Amino acid sequence: MSFNKRSLITLAILAIIVGSAYYFFARKGITYIWHWESIPEMLVYYGAKSAEDAEPRLRMGILMIGFVLTLQISIFSIIFGIIIGTIVGIARLSNEPVTRGLSAAYVELIRNTPLLVQIYIIYFFVGSLLRLSAFAAGTAALSIFAGAYVGEIVRAGIQSIHKGQMEASRSLGMTYARAMRHIILPQAFKRIIPPLAGQFISLIKDSSLVSVIALADLMFQGQQAVARTYHAFEIYFTVAALYLVMTFALSMATQYIERRLAISD
Amino acid sequence: MIKAHHVYKTFKTSDRREVKALVDFSTDIEKGEVVVIIGPSGSGKSTFLRCLNRLEEVDSGEIIIDGVNLNDKRENINKIREEIGMVFQLFNLFPHKTVLENVTLAQTVVRKRTKNEASEVARGLLKKVGILEKENVYPAQLSGGQQQRVAIARALAMHPKIMMFDEATSALDPEMIGEVLDVMKTLAREGMTMVVVTHEMGFAREVSDRVIFMDEGQIVEEGTAEHFFENPVHERTKLFLSQIL
Repeated sequence: MSFNKRSLITLAILAIIVGSAYYFFARKGITYIWHWESIPEMLVYYGAKSAEDAEPRLRMGILMIGFVLTLQISIFSIIFGIIIGTIVGIARLSNEPVTRGLSAAYVELIRNTPLLVQIYIIYFFVGSLLRLSAFAAGTAALSIFAGAYVGEIVRAGIQSIHKGQMEASRSLGMTYARAMRHIILPQAFKRIIPPLAGQFISLIKDSSLVSVIALADLMFQGQQAVARTYHAFEIYFTVAALYLVMTFALSMATQYIERRLAISD
Repeated sequence: MIKAHHVYKTFKTSDRREVKALVDFSTDIEKGEVVVIIGPSGSGKSTFLRCLNRLEEVDSGEIIIDGVNLNDKRENINKIREEIGMVFQLFNLFPHKTVLENVTLAQTVVRKRTKNEASEVARGLLKKVGILEKENVYPAQLSGGQQQRVAIARALAMHPKIMMFDEATSALDPEMIGEVLDVMKTLAREGMTMVVVTHEMGFAREVSDRVIFMDEGQIVEEGTAEHFFENPVHERTKLFLSQIL
């Protein structure tokens, strides 16, 4: 299948670039003693965790634990981002001035303030009021952030569908909501997959910012490991590679979906 | 079946000029009647059709379809639209659905028929418009004439009381116009109430009960096809006919 071949080529080119950068770096003669041997146990190791949990078995290392948490936050934020974005995108096109105004205000507010500030506000202010855990606050902040961008993408997608589609649906007796659900949104989503993929890849990377509210995601665990071992280069390379695994997988998944949906073209 | 009384409709253009699409437009259309509306572009023909199923709202005047006043906001417009099939110039098939799904979708979500019932109705109609063998392909793989025949089947699947055609053959290559007109003629002979906006004078002559000639939002002249084509009274009608025949 050409799909696998193409992704392999992409990966090979990536490996060559990283490899040669690493090679030139080493050739420059910076005296740095690499400690790659400390990395595997940060991913998985076999043994006891502590005195209380002494049973020796296969366990996740610190970076892998962070990887799983980042994955969870990202998946939840993408799902909620799609839900919020779809509602906002439709609301932006409403005939109701209040609905339209509120959704526009939401988009502008979120897009024009830094995500880092939003995370702090949601964690310290909203989070204290509603007694949210760091995980809930971090996921909420990322979902609200993604929702604003997805909303604009969805709006553009809906507007790109020829108005004859809505007219044909309505003339068959469908309500606005049914026409949206069965006719407009499926076509719009197919068209906005590329910008959505870009948005969600950004979201996975932006999720590293939640480490500031002591949420033990991949970035946070990486920092902890560096603080303990001082192996900054090895660990951050590994952290970057682990983010790449997630984003590249998402990238491949969306390309697969795009090809699946192309059958009606 | 359709009563339109003193209908006015004005559009605002992007440079804020007002364009009068319908001016004091009145006509009654009987059950089973085939009415062809002709006229130069911009004369309000399509606007009238679109007002009949409230794709456009009238400024004043009233339209009553099957006893239901379209101006009445309490009336469920979707119920009225179920009874009026509409065929568009650009077909407007649903590109992400197969031919069969195009014809079954509204049946299942609006008429609440089961999948099997809807498919049965759909296959019967696809056979009628001569395109049953394409039921599993997507619209993009069909020719314009085939797409328009599917669009007619889609509208008929709701079992409407009225069928409206908005320049249904204007976007077609010449060699495909005939196949669509044939389907429309069959419908007319079966007694369907039809309102047809078209430039096909042959169709008007052959199957229409009445021809309405519109210009600048008003009815200039109307009458049987015979009267209309043989003995037009108004100068504007004569001019128009001389230009297109």
